[in-house]
Amino acid sequence: MEIKEVFKPKAIEEAIKLLDHYQEASKIIAGGTDLIISIREGKEPAPVIIDVSSIGEIKEINEIDEWIEIGAGTTFTNITEAAILQGRYQGLIDAAASVGSPQIRNAATIGGNICNASPAADFIPPLLALDSLLIIQSTDQIREVKLEDFLRDKGKVALSSNEILTKVKFKKLNKGQGLGFNKLGLRKALAISRICTAVYLEVSEDSKCNEMRIANGSLGRYGLREKAVEDYFKGRALTDDTIRIGGGLLKDEVNSRLQGRSSAEFKREAVDGVFTVALTKAIENCSHRKGDLI
Amino acid sequence: MKKISLKINGKEYNVEIEKDMRLLDLLRDQLHLTGTKEGCGEGECGACTVIMDGVTVNSCMVLAFQADGSEIITIEGLDKGDKLHPIQKAFLDEGAVQCGFCIPGMVLSAKALLDKKPSPSRKEIREGISGNLCRCTGYNKIVDAIDKASQYLKEEGEEK
Repeated sequence: MEIKEVFKPKAIEEAIKLLDHYQEASKIIAGGTDLIISIREGKEPAPVIIDVSSIGEIKEINEIDEWIEIGAGTTFTNITEAAILQGRYQGLIDAAASVGSPQIRNAATIGGNICNASPAADFIPPLLALDSLLIIQSTDQIREVKLEDFLRDKGKVALSSNEILTKVKFKKLNKGQGLGFNKLGLRKALAISRICTAVYLEVSEDSKCNEMRIANGSLGRYGLREKAVEDYFKGRALTDDTIRIGGGLLKDEVNSRLQGRSSAEFKREAVDGVFTVALTKAIENCSHRKGDLI
Repeated sequence: MKKISLKINGKEYNVEIEKDMRLLDLLRDQLHLTGTKEGCGEGECGACTVIMDGVTVNSCMVLAFQADGSEIITIEGLDKGDKLHPIQKAFLDEGAVQCGFCIPGMVLSAKALLDKKPSPSRKEIREGISGNLCRCTGYNKIVDAIDKASQYLKEEGEEK
């Protein structure tokens, strides 16, 4: 691997200046758990490396007005330990805890998970289900983009070579709202998702679904929302029957999307079970506070 | 070449490194701290585990320049002269070591766990070492050893 220059800026402005100067020649490194392997395999030429792991301002998790903002340099370990995310956002903690191993969670960042856009990225489905916005900075502007619009293809995102993802934000969850996550891997630790599903749910006081957002990983070229299934649940009561029918619709969606792939037969059956567990967790996380009706 | 300074096992180092060097290569090839092992080289096996600024990382997935200004603990930093660290003693007492290749990483993962959680459950111990593969022992003896190390560390704390 040929690396000509390395930088370790302490402030975001400094990192942006370097990006602007080196453009395509530069690669951002944070946890390095994907980049170092691909550089060593010769897949990713990276003459200039900019390490953003010492920039404190992109490692914070804050509540600002009606938003939760998470810095792109936050590690998965930071997420699992964030008191502010316990309860309604348990789906985010479960997703972070399911990534890799302790060593990988200590290094790997949510910004890397998003920008590398692996089809199996565990943190993308829960952020999609929360309808997250990304904050992207360059020398001349700060822009916001929906995560859903940012993901373009397997490993491809709408990020220019002079831009850096600094934060992810989503609306705070209130009474009756919760996020659930479930993952199917081939083993407990260090498992790459075969399927991972996140469900955001808002229920009314009479236990009907006001709104649902479902996002899946490893069932397409990148993390995807399942809007046909979401539409079915809107306004319906969450009963064993409706959950069974909704799961059936998801099976049909996945079946048509994965047609021709060897994994289709297995995944279309498995997705129903993975979704049902994620939804059950979302229902539980909606009502985590004592005294809440739901 | 690039100059960096870092603290390893309590000692200050000012070193010149190649820009494409990994922390693992710096430790083993340049500083001859060969207790840290290279297994898979891609973050699956945990043989190269070191403690960096208080948390475990795979040193095969950290570039050496990223460690500038940080504090590293390797397996060489655990014993005190002739006296083994209580975790090392527990591994020997429980017969948790067979070929030994995974053990430096395993001991450091155990240390990071016990520093954070002095009395872990067996499930928490298994989670704590879930990033370290051992192909000899079947893990049971290692879990026993970490359980015993937790007692040793408590006894040591009481003596002080």
